[in-house]
Amino acid sequence: MKSIELIGKGKEMHGRAYIEVMPDELENAIKKLKENGFNHFVMLSCIDWLEEEKFELVYHLWSYEVKEHVMLSVRMNRNNASMPSMSHLFPQIETYEREIHEMYGIEFDGNNRLTPFLLENWHHAPPMRKDFDSEKFVGKLYESIPFIEEDENEGI
Amino acid sequence: MKEYELFIGPQHPGITGNMMYHLWVDGDTVTKAECNVGCLHRGFERLMESRLWMQNIPLVCRICVPEPDVNEAAYSMAVEQLMDWEIPERAKYIRTIVLELARIAAYLMAIGSYAGSIGIYTIPQWSLGDRDYILDIFEQLTGARIYHIYIWPGGVRWDMPAGLPKLIEKTLSYIEKRLELYDDVLFENRIFFDRAIGVGKIPCDKAIEWGVSGPNLRACGYGYDVRKLEPYAAYDEIDFDIVSYPDLGKFDTHEAGDVYTRMLIRRLEIEQSIAIIRQALKKMPEGEHILKHPNWLRWKVPAGYAFARVESSKGEFGYFVVSDGELKPVRVHVRGPSYTHGINVAERLLKGANIADVSQILFSLDICPPDIER
Amino acid sequence: MGLYIGDKMMKYEEWSKLAIKVSKASLWMLHFCTGCGAIEMPPVMTSRYDMERFGIAPMATPRQADVLLITGYLTVKTLRRVIQVYEQMQSPKYVIAFGSCTINGGMYWDSYNTIKHLEKYIPVDVYITGCMPRPEGIINAFIKLMELIDEGKARGWEKYQKYYDKYKENQRRVFNFEIEGENEEY
Repeated sequence: MKSIELIGKGKEMHGRAYIEVMPDELENAIKKLKENGFNHFVMLSCIDWLEEEKFELVYHLWSYEVKEHVMLSVRMNRNNASMPSMSHLFPQIETYEREIHEMYGIEFDGNNRLTPFLLENWHHAPPMRKDFDSEKFVGKLYESIPFIEEDENEGI
Repeated sequence: MKEYELFIGPQHPGITGNMMYHLWVDGDTVTKAECNVGCLHRGFERLMESRLWMQNIPLVCRICVPEPDVNEAAYSMAVEQLMDWEIPERAKYIRTIVLELARIAAYLMAIGSYAGSIGIYTIPQWSLGDRDYILDIFEQLTGARIYHIYIWPGGVRWDMPAGLPKLIEKTLSYIEKRLELYDDVLFENRIFFDRAIGVGKIPCDKAIEWGVSGPNLRACGYGYDVRKLEPYAAYDEIDFDIVSYPDLGKFDTHEAGDVYTRMLIRRLEIEQSIAIIRQALKKMPEGEHILKHPNWLRWKVPAGYAFARVESSKGEFGYFVVSDGELKPVRVHVRGPSYTHGINVAERLLKGANIADVSQILFSLDICPPDIER
Repeated sequence: MGLYIGDKMMKYEEWSKLAIKVSKASLWMLHFCTGCGAIEMPPVMTSRYDMERFGIAPMATPRQADVLLITGYLTVKTLRRVIQVYEQMQSPKYVIAFGSCTINGGMYWDSYNTIKHLEKYIPVDVYITGCMPRPEGIINAFIKLMELIDEGKARGWEKYQKYYDKYKENQRRVFNFEIEGENEEY
């Protein structure tokens, strides 16, 4: 596959190239791929590997010329996770970084628009982290609020 | 001149669903636009991590409401990649027919709501009424009007009933006849020309870098379509062309990437979809409609990373599925086309636009907020 | 104080009762799509199911609308806007809630961002069950609402006025929710 040849490592996974790079190699790798026809940025995903104490960021790129999909994967520590922002390379990375900052709590240095995105007035743990217990949260918040019963003696 | 701030949405008829735009306005001209989304955020991706692989099928279809089938198809395809399944031939054809019917329904809705945004209220009355005949087909095929839960990993849930091809053919020829009326009222209408030509232009050299996809990208002159680039279902066995600028058939060609071209691409693709369904009905083989599948409750999917993409009426839909070999997925991430169209592209296009054009630019991008927020 | 109809004087209370009864024939619903149920509204509004037969018409501003439709699940972010819109509407006003998710959360029962029971935050007059409710179901709900208005039973807005403090307390709790000891910065 072209992308594996370009970066010099990686493997094929279900018809897609899967390349693991180190955080300091990431910017050059994306730049190199972009210059060589991988000019469609598909999306930026984040995976929380709780047992390994790692966050994995996956940059998906697609080339219309060679019809190839490449997943660039970067791993980082779960504590005080931070990454340099890539939003200068593709403009829509800015939005994905905003979402990941909100949902996982990862800092992106160089992105000045890490404002609240999907959630409003949220001051709990980032909800997409595996250690955030959604069911417990629902029980604590929504289920604890009482119904408003009408006083039958009074009527309205 | 003084600058004003305008807040559009979520309770506003000129907005594409439950989302907000914050505009800074100088006179009649928008100087800055900011998108504010999140009103529909249900935390789907979080919920999917706590459900079985099969329980996710009823969840995924809620991600794009006007066209739910693409989600089921993309999720199923990603899981099939991980399982290394090759689905039966008949299932491939049924999927193609379902996806194309859903595409026509979504385009009719898009054209209707666009026409409403420029004040031609006849078209929404017609097109939404016509869309209902397609929903009738879905009801006979799947039992539901909107959320079908029909495309499953390994094939489709039920076989196609014997009389259905006849009903589909009847509906298609009806819609074909109606398209001529749409042309008279909307697409060959002076109001449409005056409002749409040259408005909301996506700069063609930047379109790919901005992440534009689907009909919006084809309006910029790039003939890219996932159905051709990475054929799924039965698209590789079907003969069809991609409609793209500057070849707009019987319509006049004007500027690339503007509202006019984007809407005409949608109009022409309805004809294309009708032709695809006719071919698929003719070529559809007999046989099984679903693979022999495991017990869904104890179904473990092998570990790995899979990405499946589908062409929806709004653009490229992608599902990124990560499994660690357990009963539940580790991560399902959805790439909705509106994610880039609604936020990045719209914010850039609205800058410099007239206030009166804001609504039609948004509708012509065909933004669907549920797939931004999930 | 009163109002003359012919030579008969009507008391203000009688008059307002009559006015509410008559208003059922022209229910104007607010054009606000809060969730996926909004996809079934266009078919109901347009040619095939045509709700104008029943005197129901869409309306763009809350101040002129009678009915607020909550079309599906509500997130906390939307709830804030819905309450603002609901309080802008003039009495008498009615709420119709769509789908299972407004009744008990439906399939989003464990989601961190959707409120589960709409009743806790604003009063609801008619519920429609199912996901998605069919257009016939939606029209049926409107007819049920008309019957309730006729019988004087659609009094959610009076309930909201009477228990205003309790409703506000519930709303405040969901908007400013803090768990002790769990709010440190991540």
